[in-house]
Amino acid sequence: MTAVAGRYVGQSVKRREDARLVTGHGRFVEDVAWPGTLHVAFLRSPIARGRIVNLDVSAALAVPGVHSVLTAADLNEHAREWWQNMIGKDAPMPPKRLLAEHDVRFVGEAIAMVLATSRYVAEDGVELIDVDFEAETPVLVERAGFEGVAADDANLVHPEWGSNVAQALPGPMGPGMPLDNPALEAVLASAAHVVTETFTQHRYLCVPMESQGINVRWDRHRERLEIVSATQSPHEVRSCAARLIGINDSQVHVVADDVGGGFGQKMFPATEELAVIMAAYRLGAALRWIEDRNENLIAGGHARNEDLTMTVATDESGKILGVRAHHREDIGAFPAYAVGSSASSVGMYLPGPYGFGEYFFSSEAVFTNTCGRVAYRGPWMMESVAREQMMDVTALAIGMDPLEFRRRNVVTPDQLPFTTSTGLVYETVTPQATLEQAAEMVGYDAFRAEQAEARTHGRLLGIGLSSYIEPSVGFGIMGAEQVDLRIDYDGSVVATTGSGSHGQSVETTLSQVIAETLGVDIDKVVFTQGDTAVAPFGSGTGGSRTAAVYGGAAREASVLLRNKVLAIAAEVLEASSDDLDMDLGVVAVRGNPGATISLADVAAVAYAGYTILPESIEPGLDVSFRIRAPMFMFSNATHAAVVEVDPVTGAVKVLRYLVSEDCGNMINPMVVEGQIAGGVVQGIGGVFYENFVYDADGNPLTTTFLDYLLPTAAEVPTIEYGHIVTPSPTPGGFKPIGEGGAINSPAALINAVRDALTPFGARVVSQPLGPQQIVDLIKGPASSAESI
Amino acid sequence: MKPAPFDYLAPTSLADAVEALGSYGADAKVLAGGQSLVPVMAMRMSRFDHLIDLNRIPELDFVRHEAADVVIGAMTRESRVGSDPTIAENVPLLTDATQYIGHFQIRNRGTLGGSLAHADPAAEYPAVAMALDATMHLVGPDGSRSVSPEEFFLGPMTCCAEDEELLHSVSFPVWGPGSGFSVQEFARRAGDFATAGVAVGIRVADGVVDKAAIAFFGMASAPVRARELEIELVGQKAMDLDFQEVGNQAVAHLQPPDDIHASSSLRRQIGAQLASRALSTAVKEAT
Ligand SMILES: Cc1cc2nc3c(=O)[nH]c(=O)nc-3n(C[C@H](O)[C@H](O)[C@H](O)COP(=O)(O)OP(=O)(O)OC[C@H]3O[C@@H](n4cnc5c(N)ncnc54)[C@H](O)[C@@H]3O)c2cc1C
Repeated sequence: MTAVAGRYVGQSVKRREDARLVTGHGRFVEDVAWPGTLHVAFLRSPIARGRIVNLDVSAALAVPGVHSVLTAADLNEHAREWWQNMIGKDAPMPPKRLLAEHDVRFVGEAIAMVLATSRYVAEDGVELIDVDFEAETPVLVERAGFEGVAADDANLVHPEWGSNVAQALPGPMGPGMPLDNPALEAVLASAAHVVTETFTQHRYLCVPMESQGINVRWDRHRERLEIVSATQSPHEVRSCAARLIGINDSQVHVVADDVGGGFGQKMFPATEELAVIMAAYRLGAALRWIEDRNENLIAGGHARNEDLTMTVATDESGKILGVRAHHREDIGAFPAYAVGSSASSVGMYLPGPYGFGEYFFSSEAVFTNTCGRVAYRGPWMMESVAREQMMDVTALAIGMDPLEFRRRNVVTPDQLPFTTSTGLVYETVTPQATLEQAAEMVGYDAFRAEQAEARTHGRLLGIGLSSYIEPSVGFGIMGAEQVDLRIDYDGSVVATTGSGSHGQSVETTLSQVIAETLGVDIDKVVFTQGDTAVAPFGSGTGGSRTAAVYGGAAREASVLLRNKVLAIAAEVLEASSDDLDMDLGVVAVRGNPGATISLADVAAVAYAGYTILPESIEPGLDVSFRIRAPMFMFSNATHAAVVEVDPVTGAVKVLRYLVSEDCGNMINPMVVEGQIAGGVVQGIGGVFYENFVYDADGNPLTTTFLDYLLPTAAEVPTIEYGHIVTPSPTPGGFKPIGEGGAINSPAALINAVRDALTPFGARVVSQPLGPQQIVDLIKGPASSAESI
Repeated sequence: MKPAPFDYLAPTSLADAVEALGSYGADAKVLAGGQSLVPVMAMRMSRFDHLIDLNRIPELDFVRHEAADVVIGAMTRESRVGSDPTIAENVPLLTDATQYIGHFQIRNRGTLGGSLAHADPAAEYPAVAMALDATMHLVGPDGSRSVSPEEFFLGPMTCCAEDEELLHSVSFPVWGPGSGFSVQEFARRAGDFATAGVAVGIRVADGVVDKAAIAFFGMASAPVRARELEIELVGQKAMDLDFQEVGNQAVAHLQPPDDIHASSSLRRQIGAQLASRALSTAVKEAT
């Protein structure tokens, strides 16, 4: 397959979503107003762990405008099933509950819900709920350390689970994983160089611009549940609601119109949303809950928050011979899915773009009395954060430049197809090409000279590289997406799918694929997603699959439909369909400019004039195609960051940031770059600004945007891009790109800071790298006691 | 994040506002630009029965050059303070400080009086008022009174206005020829409240410093002057000043706060650098 640049595919077509969005006419969950809706506010736990000894809602009920106040006693027993399409029903899970019952397990856990005529009144009611706790010792890494939490059998986050250890690999929950690797031990015992380091990343969050929210109403006469939700996956919401209540999927209609970001947080309905669904069903009422920013920060799901210890063995020349890794993760009390651990993915993807030789991975995840883990753009990205730092740390330890060390280990074209140490097979990745392109674009060698010169003036410049392979999985419900395509009587094209764009420009990119493949004007394509009443079953938008999986399905559906159009046109034009072309909705006989038929006329034949068609051509013009994606799809990129560190203030300025990537054929280069940019900004935020902090009692300290610092345009450099195009073997040749910006940027940035601080011999292995951490690193370990 | 219930009043004259304050006292709160008050209300950290909106009172929105002072009404928007030519010419320290306040959207609503009355220890205007020995004019049902910044700023988020009083205006002395000013600050992000900051004024006559003012913000529970150092600076040759050294001296006696963004000692380290930079900038401008 070769690169394409057609009329639409490969062009930076302007986003079809933008006109309504930039003029303020998007329709978000809060813009939907049903008559008689009651507004929900939650009473949330102010303590991390304790028993509820008194819960009296009578004063709240007395507030004029308060309709009812629901507690665990009203809702919890009615919850039937609680699992997600994407995860399956057999995954182990900690106990789930709609509202806290008997005890509370993190600050922010919902205890009661007040339903009132407005959110204002609902909050007035919340204030008047009388609740008393018997506080218990919170289980916190911040307090007892990771080992302390894992070993504590006296204080359990979930007594029902029997341990604070949520998952350990290898172990009973990782079937098929080897329990040890004696060959690796032999390598570690004999290798020329063996380097060990531990990398830590802190808690930082998805923070979509639009928080979570839901409108729900139960129509008891039609037995239909209607939901408008800020979700990435309408069908997931549908299934979860149906299962929870015990009704059929088909009785639930879910709509997601415009959604203002999700980044993983909106993959599955939140516990609060499920509570609202249950309440609406039980009461037969129309309810709405719009999560506010404070709720979103303290209880909307947390991410990252893990460490990874790597031991790397190399030979004399710097060739990696073996790697051992151990991953530890704090997943909070109620992770969003399963036990919430990303460990199995971290372990599988850790080799990234390199040959690792012998390999062994283990992990441990613990429950704590903090907000639970949620998927965040590249939930497994610790593999890149740790591996790419380890590449630099190892290079430094063996006296080699990090670029050279990468060159010696990166997978080269002649090695393809390449099987990683974990059994993944790479067929069309180009990590060597992106590494070289990034090094050239950033002017790596010239930078080293500039850096040396700057140091003589006391300026601290640093450069950091990071390479990765971006995986996207195509199994389970994520591997089989469907696109329905029809041509209406007037010749317009209608496409529906189960995607759930929340900012990815899906409306534009899939329309491009359809218009291109079909041969119609893109303005004739009406694209609908986010509505379970019209869309085929799908898994929503997440996991970097939209271009490759939905895009592939859109392409194949378009081919089917085009073939049918041409077959009908061939009958009308009395030509062979092989001699026909369709462009901008006009079918013409090649070499005979007079013989044409418009799509509207083809449609008229298909729907009304079908009697002229042979029996072999079915009337109508609609097709469906459900794709079967490969188990794994891969893209790759190398990021390069240049930073300057101010040794007095500890401020870090990102002077340059560039990305060389290969996502195969680009449907829309502007959208590709937008996806990368957004992710890189999240990495800049995570490394330098964002930090969700708990104190030793489990109280969150960064509960508003005053303290939880997001990067703004002023903190972000212009990002430069280099594109290498190596199509995948899937329809269209598209590859995953949605998460890579966020996955690969932290290590590039941290490596650049470490490089800048080389003169101080600073051990840069953790984040965030705010001013305080930077000056502590410069002063050295002796002074770190002073940091807070 | 929705405020607790309150009554809303929108007087159109100062007299009506003062009367309302007089009758409700501690049960009332005045609303200026709302940039600080509204979030605090939304989080229900501030609650009261009556909100008295000052936005419809033109008497409180003015900039006047009177004798040796520029007098600015409490309801003058920060954006106007930052762009007003009379202020730029006569009290350039205020102009300079304004650019560091939040973002333009905030400055379009936020007011001089609101910023001062809110008394955030990390805010710019309180430090400017302190550095310039401004005079704050308060008005209440029992009449008016004027106080110094030292009397006005009592601590974090606390000023000396009584429940029945509001800040009417502030007089900023004009320093005249031979003076130079600078505001320097360090913030985590563009537009954030300062991690540490300093406002400096220097007047030089015949090459000799004859007036000096150094006021830090974000470095204590209220803006704070480096008075002893200022006295030492007066009489010194401007050209001979070792700014680095003076910067270090300026922060030597401070015990800045610790928080999740910066430790006390980091704030001192940053403060010293900012002070030395502000002093050298101000001296350059003055000479
Ligand atoms: C994102 C953001 C960033 C910001 N960054 C900065 C910054 O970097 N530096 C900075 O200094 N500020 C910053 N601010 C605050 C901004 O300057 C505020 O506007 C200011 O602090 C308060 O002014 P206001 O007019 O909005 O007052 P309001 O919010 O209306 O009132 C604040 C308080 O002052 C009282 N008050 C107001 N006017 C009077 C009066 N005339 N007499 C008596 N009491 C009165 C009110 O009752 C209330 O208690 C920021 C605000 C935001 C939202």
